[in-house]
Amino acid sequence: MGCSNSGAPAYGEMSWFCCGAAWGPCGSAGGGACGTCNSSSHQCAWPNASDACFNITRPDQCGEGLARRTCGHVFYVTSRCSGSCVSVSIADCGPDTNSFCGERTCCGSACASNRLIDLTPSAYSAIASLSTGLSPVRIDS
Amino acid sequence: MPSTDRRRFLTSAVLGGSAVAGATALGSLAPETAFAAPRIDLEPGARDPNFAEGRITAISGSLLKVSGSDKALHRIYVTHGTSIWKLRPTTFDEIKVGDGLYARGVKMPDGALAADAVWVNIVNLDAAITAIDSGRLHLDHHGNKVVGHVVNGTTAAVYNHTPAISDLSGLQVGKHVKVIGAWRPDTNEVDIATVYAGI
Repeated sequence: MGCSNSGAPAYGEMSWFCCGAAWGPCGSAGGGACGTCNSSSHQCAWPNASDACFNITRPDQCGEGLARRTCGHVFYVTSRCSGSCVSVSIADCGPDTNSFCGERTCCGSACASNRLIDLTPSAYSAIASLSTGLSPVRIDS
Repeated sequence: MPSTDRRRFLTSAVLGGSAVAGATALGSLAPETAFAAPRIDLEPGARDPNFAEGRITAISGSLLKVSGSDKALHRIYVTHGTSIWKLRPTTFDEIKVGDGLYARGVKMPDGALAADAVWVNIVNLDAAITAIDSGRLHLDHHGNKVVGHVVNGTTAAVYNHTPAISDLSGLQVGKHVKVIGAWRPDTNEVDIATVYAGI
């Protein structure tokens, strides 16, 4: 599988987060739930990375039936704004989906609801500007 | 400008010695053009050679010397084609020693990075609002207190998918927000560019 060619993609919002050694408010981020997270690597956080993770993020409360995927699993994330794609591996738990149920982001006519994935700055900046903060994406496994 | 042309432009700008320019002339291209490539071929989980982060230790002409958070040293060229963000799209002269940054660009043969885009002091905070007073949001960011300053003429709020507006009256204490802002170096304070909130 790869970019935009799996049978059951997920559509939602992506954002970015910092992890590993970092500056500023990110300085205390640490290596994430998997212990390997680094802002300069193409990695992501996924809301259903474990039981403990799921109990915090609760995407089901937003109507999102996300599959359990654990540390190291690879996703292909395609920006619905630019059409660009990046491959990332799970390195952390997040985003906190149920804190923002129903939130919606659009890019032209392409819209998506609910925060489903956070990318490291290096991965996010490969397909979108960090200053956008939120962006609609397609996620393939 | 197509992505490949932009990369070629950045590379030639540095190799041709035209990277050094009048400071206020830099940062003129839209950042969106930097993300038009159809596919980034890099092993998932791998460190991205075309990306750098850290804090600026020196500025020499258009060259930024950066100490990475992992202690790696980076040399980053800013060219006429580099988009620069520091709270808002801005120009090279706003970049200061001590600032933090993320940069994306093209790795040069000598190991330096010719930057497509530089985001200076940018932060992305998932936080809860603990208090609101005149011109400030007090935030709890994973247990750490952060003060968010409202910047007149710049700070905007997005309530769900509404367009960004300057009216912050919809923000509420106790609610979760996402804040895109610019860190004030060596403090727990940020200037707010955009605050995303539910409705």
